[in-house]
Amino acid sequence: MNDILFSQLSTFGSSVVLLFGIALLWRKSLHAYTVVFQWQSVMLAGLLLVIGYFGHDVELYFVAVILFVLKVLILPRYLGKLEQRFGGERESQPYVNVATSLIASGLLVLLAYAVTRPLVQVSSLPTRGGLPLAVGLIFVGLFVVITRKKALAQIVGFLVMENGIALLVALGTYGIPLIVELGVFLDVLMGFLVMQVFVYHIHGTFESIDVDQLNELRH
Amino acid sequence: MTFFFLLLPPLVASLLAFLVRPYRAFVGWASALLSLISLGAAITIAAQTIAGNVPTWGLTIDSLGLEDVLRADSLSALLMVCITAVAALTLFLSPGVGRELRYTAPQLRRYQVFINLFIAAMLLAVSANNVGVMWIAVEATTIFSAFLIPLTLSKTSIEASWKYILISSVGIGLAFAGTVLAYFDFVARSGRIENALNWTTLMATAPSLHAEVIRLAFVFLLIGFGTKAGIAPMHTWKPDAYGESPAPLGVLMSSSLFAVATYTIVRWKAVADAALGRGYTDNLLLALGLLSLLVAAFSVVLATNYKRMLAYSSIEHTGLICLGLGLGPLGAFAALLHLVNHTAAKSLMFFLVGNIEQVYGSPLIERVRGLSKVLPWTGGLFAAGLLALIGLPPFGLFVSEFALFRAGFALNQPWLMGATLVLLSVVFVSFIVHLNKMLYGPPPVGVIAGQVDRLWNIAPLLLVIGVLVVLGLTLPVPLAALLEQSVEIIAK
Repeated sequence: MNDILFSQLSTFGSSVVLLFGIALLWRKSLHAYTVVFQWQSVMLAGLLLVIGYFGHDVELYFVAVILFVLKVLILPRYLGKLEQRFGGERESQPYVNVATSLIASGLLVLLAYAVTRPLVQVSSLPTRGGLPLAVGLIFVGLFVVITRKKALAQIVGFLVMENGIALLVALGTYGIPLIVELGVFLDVLMGFLVMQVFVYHIHGTFESIDVDQLNELRH
Repeated sequence: MTFFFLLLPPLVASLLAFLVRPYRAFVGWASALLSLISLGAAITIAAQTIAGNVPTWGLTIDSLGLEDVLRADSLSALLMVCITAVAALTLFLSPGVGRELRYTAPQLRRYQVFINLFIAAMLLAVSANNVGVMWIAVEATTIFSAFLIPLTLSKTSIEASWKYILISSVGIGLAFAGTVLAYFDFVARSGRIENALNWTTLMATAPSLHAEVIRLAFVFLLIGFGTKAGIAPMHTWKPDAYGESPAPLGVLMSSSLFAVATYTIVRWKAVADAALGRGYTDNLLLALGLLSLLVAAFSVVLATNYKRMLAYSSIEHTGLICLGLGLGPLGAFAALLHLVNHTAAKSLMFFLVGNIEQVYGSPLIERVRGLSKVLPWTGGLFAAGLLALIGLPPFGLFVSEFALFRAGFALNQPWLMGATLVLLSVVFVSFIVHLNKMLYGPPPVGVIAGQVDRLWNIAPLLLVIGVLVVLGLTLPVPLAALLEQSVEIIAK
């Protein structure tokens, strides 16, 4: 009984987290990107608590708290600052339009189901239903990075991809060893800080955060 | 204990540079001297592994499984020696050590802080036993080096570093997903234990892992760490980043960082091979290796910028090393030897192009004329290094490329080797053409060699070319032992 509930909850939670990822694809304002990422992280932290509770893993509570502090409190604050500076710039014309993006994301999730079939087959975990969704979220994050023109949107895409990996870790293994988990959080934080410094640099040098101006280097 | 002498000196140097503001020349000297301690430690560890020991270091805290956090087998030791040697060379020839007017004091301070952190992260990556920690260290190298590419802010340097950090972070994210998938399979098979991510534990359990899952995991890992190594088609950041970096960072990225990224692939390949048997990973590496060669050959022909030309040459050698890794034990031996040779050759070349760019004020091939007259020492070494890179004797790369072809023909791959030979000749010819243009002709008006070409400034590089010639004439016994033991570890 417990297992069925656990299985349903984890699959449902993963779907919601994935939906927030896909929501990025039809929103255009940079503000929406921050909000979507923030809510996705809230859901992810909640899901970690659920998995920790049903999977009897205390470490996951700890991870959920760090994730909440980092991805719901700290990073969105920085994103908010960036957005105040550059918020006027909308993701006007991404390389791929909304309709095509949504179709592509559907295909990416299908692809995720195809590649994760061996995982779901060998696993006996109640959470295995969510694994394809986690890999799907990684792909969607990657897609956002590739197709958006604003540096800020690319950063959010990267963070969404990180969320997908965190989801995969939680669903597939109930958490990797704590020392590695902490190192990963540190790297995400540092990586984010470097990237946001570069957003200022890009704006200072190119007077816009459109990355399609970054095209001077060839041969 | 030796690990402390390996890892702490760069951290101390970084801290020192952080604390002393404004920048003073003694900081540069201190970090150069400290790097010699690291080098000594790396050689000590190498000697220990040759003698058959496997030094480890860890904490004995119950139930945390931290007994062997750091571990150095022959493969790690080989990489440690390469990294610390290049690091020492770099730090001695860094801006801010001698008289240097190109950079301001804050820039030099930033440079010293991050270049040392960068070196420490690379050393941690090759000495960590835990593949999770290895991943963290590799990701850290991206972050630290991204601070250094735009040492002077310009449109092109910002473009290069943005592309570099974005592509590398995303790639390395995929590598982490691959690590998680392998761990997932381990947990599904053997339950959770704390040191499951240790490479030794993974190797021991690998034969019982599920083939389908490991296949998927290896694809993620190869794409991820392959991005960092610059294997085609994930190589696009490489010419930009190498072209725009300050010369010493270009040296470290093209030689050491590349070696570290290759090392991570080799480690995971060993696990995947133990789980899957040979064949699967070999074919993937052969395909990507050939693709890298193809991309590199065409790009070299079209190159107009000599720094980017060297980056394309890096992609070419990445391809050769991938091919070697896919060609069984003989090939693995050739690949590792080639890695050592390439490390030496590339560290030489990026210093020289740094000098050339400083004197000519342009990275374009067409602006550099009369190199042999204006900078006889630099020009001569540049020509020698370029001939080494295209695989001419008496330099080490000739020997390792020869060994590679032998391995290929021994495995009955004449078509593959034939294609490789054709692509190498394309690179060969276009390198000679570019070199000709640069060496001869009337130098542009107003180009003055100044201090750059003094023998004193070039002397350390003579050491490097000496190493290349020695490796071309003979295979020193300790190196042969290290290589043979490494091959035994990765290609049983």
